[in-house]
Amino acid sequence: MATIINADTSDGLKLTSDTSGQIDLQSAGSTKATIDTSGNLKFNSGFGSVGTAYGCRAWINFNGTGTLAIRDSGNVSSVTDNAVGKYTVNFATNMPDINYSVSGIAQDTVSGSSSNSPSVTIQDATSSTTTSTLTINVITGNGQSFIDSPIANVQIIR
Amino acid sequence: MRIIYETSDGGVAVIVPTPEYLLTHTMEEVAAKDVPAGANYEIVEDSVVPSDRTFRGAWTWA
Repeated sequence: MATIINADTSDGLKLTSDTSGQIDLQSAGSTKATIDTSGNLKFNSGFGSVGTAYGCRAWINFNGTGTLAIRDSGNVSSVTDNAVGKYTVNFATNMPDINYSVSGIAQDTVSGSSSNSPSVTIQDATSSTTTSTLTINVITGNGQSFIDSPIANVQIIR
Repeated sequence: MRIIYETSDGGVAVIVPTPEYLLTHTMEEVAAKDVPAGANYEIVEDSVVPSDRTFRGAWTWA
């Protein structure tokens, strides 16, 4: 059971409560979203069923050329410019562990040159992923050098 | 403002705080959190950090 907030099609808002600690949001008696007793938010929103929503726990968009400039971010305290194409993303609030998933993309630096189409990678070191920091590289498409990209994006999902 | 610090190999790293974090924290707090323990650091104006990165790998702590 759960505390249920139901938008009923005939009776309007219906509220049913119990002591389970779970909250269900319903439409016409069908559960569309839930916050369970562990604090997990679950919703349908096109999944086809009510499932856990896994959030983006940190993200950043920055310009690595010239004087590094941060356009916008979420849950990031700072970016460390370690060298050309080498950066550390410092989290404002730490991750619960180092098993988070990372994705990233960077803007091409030379129009029409596939060898300069950059990739964002996790730096080759065991210390590259910690609960408080993520160290990344931006490298050329041919993998031969590090480059500063005008648009570098990184997202961390957990 | 930026934070520069001496890296373990004698180079220089530059910490750029995010605007969102500076809404609720000071530069000193960013340095305390994000500068590696024991590293020499300094809080400097943006203009102190060169925009020409041609010789970025040759920057040293002086």
